[in-house]
Amino acid sequence: MIGLENATVRFGPRTIIEGLSFSVPVGRTLAILGPNGRGKTTTLKAMLGFQPLDAGRRVAPDIVGYVPQTGTSNQRYRALDVVVMGRAAHLGIFGQPGAEDFQIAHSALERAGAARFADHYFDRLSGGERQLVLLAGAIATGSQVLVLDEPAAALDLHNQERLLTLLNTLRQPRDKAIVFTTHDPNHALSSADDALLMMPGGQPLFGRVAETITPQHLENLYGVPMRVVELAGPSGETHQAVLPAFAGIRAA
Amino acid sequence: MAALAQDEAAPMVRRAHLARQTLVFSGLLTLFAVAFVVSLCVGRFAVPPARALELIWLGATDPWRELATIDERIVLLVRAPRVVLAALAGAGLALSGAALQGVFRNPLVSPDILGISQGAAFGGALGIMLGIWGFPLISMVFLSGMAAVVLVGLISRINGRSETITVILSGLVVSSMFSAVVSLLQFVADPNTSLPAIVYWLMGSFATATWERTLIAAPGLIIGGAFLWMLRFRLNILSLDEAEAQSLGAKTNRERWMVFGLIAVIVGSQVAVSGIIGWIGIVIPHASRLLVGHDHRALLPASVVLGAGFMVIIDTLARTATAAEIPLGVITALVGAPIFAMLLRNHYRERNGS
Amino acid sequence: MLPDDVTGRGFNMVSLTRFASRGLLAAALSGLLAHGAAAQEITFKDQENREVKLAKAAERIVSIVIPMASTVIALDGGTKKLVGMNPTAKSAVLEGILSKIFPETKDIPSDVTAPNFVPNIEALTATNPDLVIQWGGRGNDIVAPITNAGLNAMLILYGTEQLTRDYMTMTSKAIGKPERIKELVDWRDRVQKDIEAKAKAIPDDKKPSTLYIARALSEIATTGTKGSYNAWYMELVGGRNASAELNGTVTINKEQIAQWDPEIIFLNAFEAKLDVNWVYNDPILSLTKAAKNKRVYKMPLGGYRWDPPNQESPLAWMWTANLTQPDVFKYDLRAEMKTAYKTLYNYDITDADIDGILWMKEQGGSANYVQFKAK
Repeated sequence: MIGLENATVRFGPRTIIEGLSFSVPVGRTLAILGPNGRGKTTTLKAMLGFQPLDAGRRVAPDIVGYVPQTGTSNQRYRALDVVVMGRAAHLGIFGQPGAEDFQIAHSALERAGAARFADHYFDRLSGGERQLVLLAGAIATGSQVLVLDEPAAALDLHNQERLLTLLNTLRQPRDKAIVFTTHDPNHALSSADDALLMMPGGQPLFGRVAETITPQHLENLYGVPMRVVELAGPSGETHQAVLPAFAGIRAA
Repeated sequence: MAALAQDEAAPMVRRAHLARQTLVFSGLLTLFAVAFVVSLCVGRFAVPPARALELIWLGATDPWRELATIDERIVLLVRAPRVVLAALAGAGLALSGAALQGVFRNPLVSPDILGISQGAAFGGALGIMLGIWGFPLISMVFLSGMAAVVLVGLISRINGRSETITVILSGLVVSSMFSAVVSLLQFVADPNTSLPAIVYWLMGSFATATWERTLIAAPGLIIGGAFLWMLRFRLNILSLDEAEAQSLGAKTNRERWMVFGLIAVIVGSQVAVSGIIGWIGIVIPHASRLLVGHDHRALLPASVVLGAGFMVIIDTLARTATAAEIPLGVITALVGAPIFAMLLRNHYRERNGS
Repeated sequence: MLPDDVTGRGFNMVSLTRFASRGLLAAALSGLLAHGAAAQEITFKDQENREVKLAKAAERIVSIVIPMASTVIALDGGTKKLVGMNPTAKSAVLEGILSKIFPETKDIPSDVTAPNFVPNIEALTATNPDLVIQWGGRGNDIVAPITNAGLNAMLILYGTEQLTRDYMTMTSKAIGKPERIKELVDWRDRVQKDIEAKAKAIPDDKKPSTLYIARALSEIATTGTKGSYNAWYMELVGGRNASAELNGTVTINKEQIAQWDPEIIFLNAFEAKLDVNWVYNDPILSLTKAAKNKRVYKMPLGGYRWDPPNQESPLAWMWTANLTQPDVFKYDLRAEMKTAYKTLYNYDITDADIDGILWMKEQGGSANYVQFKAK
């Protein structure tokens, strides 16, 4: 599992987060929501261990499957090589990946739906394809925890759908703790069990999606009126979505 | 159906890739072996190729033999240690350059950037001026090369970490400082003994290679190189940005300094016996990248073989083309600079094109 | 003002004479003074065709050129006029016999220049020189600082025997002893002509290949024939420069020496730690003809090193001649040295001194060297 206990982070006089506690056990998925500048990124970094805490502690396994928003793409590695880098923790500083590690990397690519560009150069892939490869890399670490930094932020709608479907596929076996940050509350609705809302005034709200992703809470979070909308899903079933009131155009 | 066909295509592409790599490596190894043997057969003193090969064979199978005739001694006491040293130095410098470019994520850095060569040169110049020769001198060179790296570390270390750009700038400062002091030493050096020694050896040359000197430099070159070789997968990790690398379990700061330390060992050993040799550290890794790609698991071995072969060829030219010894720096620059210019253009053309 | 008796009484023979004689005396005196001043001034053109003007004979000379320090001492017969020298000249003084003949040379400053002939203007002006001897033909960077400081520079050129005689003559004139140089130049001329005459008959196939090692300990360097004084006298005495194909002074390696396989090797006198064992102990060089026949010799260090042109050059030629063609040249070197040192330095050289100069202890066992031993 992964989480923070009573975590506080200050940058000089500014307090970014204070006394923040939450945990994501194996088998559950957490979505972290919040506007820019309210500590979403700091919380993520603190969970990953990149941000030292001024108070409180971090609970996490040794290796976390981290999916960055963009991979460092100035080295021309093949996608498979990028994924097999995820095996680094198991190999030690002088280790070299063997056949088994490549096998694991292949499986990870398949699980991420990216097997077909294993031999393509990473920097030649599109943004969405790269995201999948990075996800495969995180899966290949074998960690029970996956942390994704704004995974859908730069994706077009088609790739967003693919990613969210993928997250659900990963969620299904209930064998991982998954955390992702997002701007869009609908991503939380579709793919998360719990949500952490970085509310103003330093009082974050943590709870199950059904209880937290409500127009009232979201309005407090974003300072913008939100409405629940019903629509017909892709296979005819009824979907519920939450949209800002300013979305769309005034109907005639 | 379409998805299945694609999955079958992948292993084929993989096999093609593997086949290509194997071909490239066989080619490089063959090139190196040929260069090595030819260099032993070639020189200002005429030794017929058959005789030279015979001598190499005898030398390899019976190393403790008493060498009486001039052709034996030329091939086995003059050429052999020189070629071996050139190969080791070329491999070491190329390896160091490749590793450094990976760690800095910048294809334009070379081992000189950490100030190692200049620091080593300072130790050598000072030692020569104080009348120190032989093994103690070589130790001084080596130690002051390491000292340069330590200095760079101390200067660039802020809050327990060192940013890439800070390391580069610190390296610049340290190397300029040592260069300036070496110039100062040259000015006051005795013109009959110290000064020619300092000047000549600053220019970089394998002309003074004997088995003794080669065997002194070899441990540093081989051990340092071996450790860097073992880090080839880790270098892939270190070439990622901080966050990614750390999430994969890398202690980035510590491991980067391990790489710098190993490079200092290699370059210090090389400078101690053959002076400052440039260009190899930048050009060879690039050429290797063109041949085998960026993955350090292939890049480092390719750099080793290509660096060794290149250095052997260059040094053989330097000692054979004319009666006089052409300074290595001249040839490496003449050959290296145009190649580097070409690589540079290709690099940026590709980046802008893709 | 005319005396009263003249204006008063018209011309008086005595007063006229008195006036005339005073006038004559004055005229004569002033004429004499003018001539004397002109006689003191020395002007000449140096070897870069610059006019050098000295108000009187130079009293305080600095020689940035290495061998000229000892030449000035030899020409002047003492050290009074030398107030600065090159550090490389200083080392020769300290390592060689000049500091024994003239102990005060040890105190003559050598910080007036860097070894590479770049002058140190502070130290140079501190010695208050009236003449600075500097190399010409090597660019203005080493000359301009001297002239800009308002000092008198005399530029000389390196390379041939004629140039050497000319600049020594110039120097002799500059120190106000123009007659002194004559005996030195005559001596050189005599010896050169004698060698040439005897060498004429030597057929080409009897000329051994000789190699001069200009540097050995840091890297190995030697010179081609063009522009090299060493090559000139090595060939004068009936040798063949083994490294003739080279251009200037360049670095070579041992394999190249093995390929040339010289019959005689001459080692420079600049590197104090260099002796003949450098050849004999080397696995490659010990197999050369020169090493096998023990014809390896280090150039002697007398009042100056015998390698480059200097006041003792004829001794160097004779020494080289006796070693290169022992059947043709049989100079009594010890006797020649005794005469030369008396002429040059007014010094009675001892047998022990000569042994030291000729490195008798280190290379007494070399081939044909027994001829130089004391009787």
